This record gives sequence, C-alpha cells and structure tokens, in this order.
Amino acid sequence: MNKTVLQIVRFVALVLLQVLVINHIRLGGYVHPYVYLIFIMLLPFNTPQWQLLLLGFVLGLTIDLFTGTLGLHAGATTLMAFCRPSIIKLVSGNQKFENVQEPNLGQLGGAWFFRYAICMVLVHHLSLFVLESFSFRLMGQVLLRLLLSAPVSIFLIMMVLFIFKSERKRE
Amino acid sequence: MHNLRDFILKHHVVILFILLEVISILLLANSQRFHRNRMVNTTNDVVGKIYEWSSEVGNYFRLNNANEQLAEENAMLRQQLSIVYDTTTCSYDISQGDTLYKYIPAQVVNNSTNQANNYIIINKGAVDGIQRDMSVISTDGIVGVVTDVSRHYASIMSLLHSKSVVGVRIKESQELASVKWETNNYRYGMVEDIPTHIMLQKGDTILTSSHSYIFPEDLMVGTVEEFYPTAVDALNKAKIRFATDFATLRHVYVIQDLHKPELDSLKARLE
Repeated sequence: MNKTVLQIVRFVALVLLQVLVINHIRLGGYVHPYVYLIFIMLLPFNTPQWQLLLLGFVLGLTIDLFTGTLGLHAGATTLMAFCRPSIIKLVSGNQKFENVQEPNLGQLGGAWFFRYAICMVLVHHLSLFVLESFSFRLMGQVLLRLLLSAPVSIFLIMMVLFIFKSERKRE
Repeated sequence: MHNLRDFILKHHVVILFILLEVISILLLANSQRFHRNRMVNTTNDVVGKIYEWSSEVGNYFRLNNANEQLAEENAMLRQQLSIVYDTTTCSYDISQGDTLYKYIPAQVVNNSTNQANNYIIINKGAVDGIQRDMSVISTDGIVGVVTDVSRHYASIMSLLHSKSVVGVRIKESQELASVKWETNNYRYGMVEDIPTHIMLQKGDTILTSSHSYIFPEDLMVGTVEEFYPTAVDALNKAKIRFATDFATLRHVYVIQDLHKPELDSLKARLE
C-alpha cells in the first residue's frame, strides 16, 4: 500500500476508534485512556519536525472537534510531537537502527516500544490534564488522573500495536 | 533582514511549536470563556453525521429498553391528559399556567459523561426549530441547555459541565437554591447554597424553580443523596442524585418557550 494512503487510513481509523469506542469506556471518573497518539508514534523516523508538529496539531484538533474541547487535545498532541525526537533518543540510548525506517514492533522489539509508549503517553496525558485543569481541576486530581489513565492508555496502545503487527507482516 | 531569515530557518521548529501551542491555548481559553462551542459549528454537521451512524448501530441493541421507556411515558401522558381534557368543548388545553411550551422530541447521537465539560449532540437542528438557549429534558429529569445549532444537529451543554448552574427549589421547604456539577461522578450534583435553618433528608426532591429563565418550573432535577450541615459557613451543602441517567440517555425533548421572545423584550426594555 502507498505510504501516504496508509497514513491517512491510520489517521481516520484511530480517530474513529478513539471517539466512537474508547471515549465511551467508563471506568470511574478518573480513567480516560487515549490511543489516538499511536498515529504520531508510528510516523517514519525521517519525518521532518515541522511535519510532526503540524500533524500533531491537526490530529489533536480533529479529536477536539468530536469532543467539543477546542484546543485541548491539539495543545497536548503538539507538545508530544515536539518531544518525540528527544524521546526516541532517550529510549534508544546507544542502540542504532540503521535500516529501520519507522517505529515498528517487529524490528525494534516490545521492550523498546514499551519504553517509547510510556514516555509519549506521560508527556501527552500530563499536558492534557494540566491544560484541562486550568479551568477546572486541581493539581492533586491531575496527578490522580495521570496515574490511573496512563497505564490503561499504555496497555491499550500496546494491544493495538500487537494486533496490527501481524497484519503488517503479511503485506 | 538576512539575519532574521537565518534565525527563522534555524529555529523554524521551535517557532512553529510555539505558534501552534498559542493557537491551542487561545482556542481553549475562548471556548471556556463563552462556554459555547461556536467554532465547532462549521463542522458540526460532519461530526453529527458520524456520531449518528455510530449511534444507529448501537440503537438496535437498545430497542427493548427504549420501547419500555416510551410505553411508560405514554401511560403517564395519558394520565395527565385526562386531567386537562375539557369534556364540554372536547378540546385539549395544553397551556401550563400562562406559559406555553412546545416539546420537540430528539435523539441523542453523541454524549459524554467523563470529561470535565460534557456536551451532548442531538439529531435535531435549526430546520426543526431548535434555537440556542432552549432547555432540554429527558423523561426522567432535566438534561441541559442548547448551546449551538447547525442545520440538522444541535449541541447541548449537559448538566455535567463545570459552568452549568441551575436554579432550583426544594420541594419540601420551597426554599430556593442552585445546583452545580462538582463531583467526577456523572450521577451526582451539588447544592451549595442551602440556608442554615433548612435541614434536608435523604430522598428530598429538588425541582427547577420559576427563577430559572431557562427551564420551565417544577421539572425534576434530582433527589438528595447526602446532606452536609456546616457549623462554620452560613450555608449548608447537599449531594444530590440526578434524576436523569446521563450514561444511558437516548431520547430527549427540547422545550421551546413560546413566550420567551416576549419575556426577553420586556427584560431588554427594563435595562
């Protein structure tokens, strides 16, 4: 499949998964998992940074249109996209991936991806909950929501990645 | 000039990042200040359509419950009708006091209960006569206020919203108060301004008051779940359970107050 088409399909599928399924999961008042960030996580390593930022902004804004919280997800996802290069450097350490074009589970391994997901989710969720709290919640509640939501998000993200890992091999 | 171009080229990522964050925060700040999602209007029809498709699928699984609920409501309406049915003229007088209300039935196509500010989208819009600031109720109790209308859809600020305040009356004592949503739980709300001499019991009924310009009088809001008397403050608090179950909300009615234009123009003349 053409790379651009694949990215568009992934974008649409993840937005729909988020707003039609995940947003309706109710696990008490504090647990709000977000999986749409997989889109930013899986962009090729050589994506220019300005593209990362714009894509993050557009993705967040799309989620915002559905939830009626304009600017909230856009801000958090843009920040996450901004941090992505540093996070990749941080979780890779001394490892070098010469022939790997984009983050994928098959070539980089579950452990690397798990660390990657933890960092990305923490940056995203923390900024999201802080942005939301400027108008509503207090710091204690922000941390509580982070502690409860982040593990669920990471779990769901890893699950989605594992499901689609087998798909990618068949291509 | 040359230096400026170099500077922008060198730091284009950081500049773009700051620009996008500023846009985000401005959008967020504005949507909070006016607490109505006016910007969403342009895309509301698209978003509404997608939500409608998704809820159509879900609706098949809830047909049984919906039928039961509608049958119950029919029975209740029949009973009320027998009171207002005028046998001498064979006509129905549906005026409630001197205010006339028109009920527009609608279906919920999207609803959230787990955000800090929850909105509901319904499948009726401007072409069906929905206007901003109309009140919305379910068969069980009040739901919210219309904040934005597109051609075929409308978004409603749910009671589960940080800016939502409803003027209410305690049925047993006729005392006025106001209800907010402050807990994280979609089932409960807070009454914070109960005068000290009023003691509430669990199960006391909270209704809308005539002082609320949005909701008609005497609609069900909820029942008292827990009463918190305060020794220091002058006002008592109570936790109430909303009569409407927001998690399973499907059918709602938008209320059009036919006397509202008259009332508004009178208020405008006073100011």
